[in-house]
Amino acid sequence: MSGIIEARNLVKTYRRGREEIHALKNVDFGVDEGEFVSIIGPSGSGKTALLNVLGCLDTPSSGSLRLNGIETCGLKERELVKVRRDNIGFVFQQFYLMPTLTARENIELPLLFSRKDCNKNRIDEVLQMVGLADRGDHLPGQLSGGEMQRVAIGRALINDPKIILADEPTGNLDSATSQMIFELFRELNRKGLTLVIVTHNLELARQAQKMYTLRDGQIVGCEDLECVVGVEVRKMSDANS
Amino acid sequence: MNFLTLATKNLLRRRGRTLLTVLGVAIAITVLFSLLSLNSGYEKELNKEMGGLGVHILAVPKGCPYEAASLILHGGVIPKYLTATDLKNVSGIDGIELATPMLMQQFIRQDAKTGKDVPHVVFGIKIDEVRELKPWWKVQGRFFTDNGTNVMLVGRGLADKENLTVGSMLPAGPFKNFTIIGILDRTGDQDDQFHFVPLAEAQRVFNKQGMLTTIAVKVKDLTQIEKISEEMEKIPDIQVVTMTQIMGTIMNLAGSARSLLLTVIAIALIISAFGIINTLLMSVNERTREFGMMKAIGASGLDIGKMVLAETVFITLAGGLIGTAAAIVGSSLIESFVKGMLPYAPRGTMVSLSPELIGFALAFSVALGLICGLYPAFISSRLSPMEAIRGGFE
Repeated sequence: MSGIIEARNLVKTYRRGREEIHALKNVDFGVDEGEFVSIIGPSGSGKTALLNVLGCLDTPSSGSLRLNGIETCGLKERELVKVRRDNIGFVFQQFYLMPTLTARENIELPLLFSRKDCNKNRIDEVLQMVGLADRGDHLPGQLSGGEMQRVAIGRALINDPKIILADEPTGNLDSATSQMIFELFRELNRKGLTLVIVTHNLELARQAQKMYTLRDGQIVGCEDLECVVGVEVRKMSDANS
Repeated sequence: MNFLTLATKNLLRRRGRTLLTVLGVAIAITVLFSLLSLNSGYEKELNKEMGGLGVHILAVPKGCPYEAASLILHGGVIPKYLTATDLKNVSGIDGIELATPMLMQQFIRQDAKTGKDVPHVVFGIKIDEVRELKPWWKVQGRFFTDNGTNVMLVGRGLADKENLTVGSMLPAGPFKNFTIIGILDRTGDQDDQFHFVPLAEAQRVFNKQGMLTTIAVKVKDLTQIEKISEEMEKIPDIQVVTMTQIMGTIMNLAGSARSLLLTVIAIALIISAFGIINTLLMSVNERTREFGMMKAIGASGLDIGKMVLAETVFITLAGGLIGTAAAIVGSSLIESFVKGMLPYAPRGTMVSLSPELIGFALAFSVALGLICGLYPAFISSRLSPMEAIRGGFE
């Protein structure tokens, strides 16, 4: 396995009081550059934990993770910030937009942290890319849920990352809007971006190229959807219960 | 966009809370600034007032010298008297350049306009000797001579207040038939408010023949003040007060009053500092997820800390600006309040607003922000992005 994301034997254990929670148990996971991968699984299966570890938001208890060729385990927080900044764009279920900043300013925010020059054309380009060319000066409160998620995706794109990690990006959206967001993801994927999307929604998950199923902190299934298009895979539906 | 605009926008998100915190800081800074400007003004005024006396040592009848000195400075009346013998004894001491007798009395006169009884202070003086002590005395009209009768000088402040002009007569009181032959130019001290008559006239009008309330002494060499005052102490009935003593005592009293005020202000500042820290910790807590998001999109802990610190400094600097402005606008109000708390308040304006003080007040408010913001900034920078986003998952 060689790819932009290479995870081996990832273990993540939390402590909650006296109880030990094994969020990830020896997970091997790889994504090739330009791949569109979805991860599904029931609540508590470790989807978000995996995504957070992949995005260097969380450090694994043990195991190794290479991102774009860089071994991240053992890096200091300061170095992780740089890896995150250069390689990864995050999209959250709750959007997490700054309510006092306009769409344009929200998209601009990562540039402030990466100390990059704010290039107006670049922001226009991103606004265009996420389909908000005419909404740049609106505050989040003036936007619909779908539009807010587009702003969040734009914000994830501004630093020109290799990988987009999305945690339930459509969890707060209706199905029509969710579909439109997924179209956007697919379009970004066609432009060469690597996407890893965690979702509850099987229908959407199956629009990816690969779909992993996580249960109890372990990957229990992997489907290459491009090869089995149209084939119904029964065992997936109970994973989505 | 930069960190400052981001910090401002964050603050504007919680307008009410930001405003209240700013107000807390503003009040503390107002008091601090007023007190500091009062401090510098007070010493300046006091020195000016003491210098205006042109007298190095005062001999007064035995009694509480501080009370006496204060009474004399404000034109009060001492109920005991010195005599011509005392004057002779004082004059005989070596090193004294001039010892001049004075009789100070108070009289009540009905105000022509309001009809109220107003106390007036009159000094019986030897004019040539006093002019030697106070060479800056200038007069509109002319000075009287020591043997003149029914003649009077008045201070400019008094003349203006009572509409007295050269040649006019006092309308009422024991000096009813006295002609004002001269009005002293403004001196900026107590003399502006007094009446002056020849010593003999004062003794005649008040029926205090041969009696004196004060002997004002000018020495030849200022370094000899201690020695001369010791000599004077040997004369019975005489209480000696040197100007340095009076200054020292007043400064001491004022000093303790000020340190009391400073303590109060220090406590107020500490309380407002804790208020700021508390407010910030609360808002840091509320924004855990937001900080997590920022870390996820590339902010380092340092970035987050800087942002929180910038917000704090914004709050305290705004408070400092408002506080200083309020102190400048309300300086007269504050002055009258503080004057009531000081043991001896000079007549002039005590609040002196210097650019250095304004600079200090603003620098202080920034420092306050840096100190108060440090801990919340540290806390927020240490949040792990993961825990931040999960909102306190352990």
